[in-house]
Amino acid sequence: MKRLMHILFLSCLKATELIEKKFDFKLSFKEKIQLKIHKMMCSACSNYEKQSHSIENALENDSKHTHPNNADTCQLKEEILANLSKK
Amino acid sequence: MSNINLTYLVNTFTDDLYNWAYYKTSNIDIAKDLVQDTFLVASEKNKGFQNKSSHKSWLFAILNNKIVDYYRKKIRVESNFDNLGNYFNDTGDWSSKSKPLDWGESESKLSESVEFQEALAICLNELPEIWNACINLKFLSSKSGDEICQELEISSSNYWQIIRRAKLQLRKCIVINWIKD
Repeated sequence: MKRLMHILFLSCLKATELIEKKFDFKLSFKEKIQLKIHKMMCSACSNYEKQSHSIENALENDSKHTHPNNADTCQLKEEILANLSKK
Repeated sequence: MSNINLTYLVNTFTDDLYNWAYYKTSNIDIAKDLVQDTFLVASEKNKGFQNKSSHKSWLFAILNNKIVDYYRKKIRVESNFDNLGNYFNDTGDWSSKSKPLDWGESESKLSESVEFQEALAICLNELPEIWNACINLKFLSSKSGDEICQELEISSSNYWQIIRRAKLQLRKCIVINWIKD
């Protein structure tokens, strides 16, 4: 019975994979239906999806706040020139 | 290429190249190495260089190749880590200790929570580098999934499996660091 459910409406292993796939790719119609029904039956995967969204949003905010580092490049320039003259 | 020419290029373009490399790798040492390598390649290819109209775009093309190489190598080295067995049992169900429980917070609250952001930062640092490779390409370049796969030379199913593994680990770490119970 359980195996049949997994075939029809995915195992949690497969469901989490589709949840991640959905962020970057389009799911097929079949995958969409399977995932939807799986989540109706599985609170753990529903929680996983919500939390995965939260993490995704937080990462997105975080990367927007990352600014290029205007480090002192004088030393780097000297190193590069020294290396090049060795050749 | 004469030394004067090369010196001029280093002095003129190092800042821009470095900022770009840092933006793409978030690592000072790696960014510096990549810029070093860029000029090494530039000095070796001096014949091709003579005909180039724009020095800047030529140097940036070399640097971009170096950045993609850097991530590609990472994928090779680290795509073997796999511990899905820690999260799922043989039948593909969540193992009892890893079942995601309700965090009891609304999404909007989470993104404002300083504690949550702090836990996330800690956890990102502890992740295998592969996650950083994917995340850097995913969030810094706003590229599509297909483009990222192309650059990393991995299949799309390989890509979301890597992301899933990394997310599982990230989630587990956040639960430990953030939900103190």
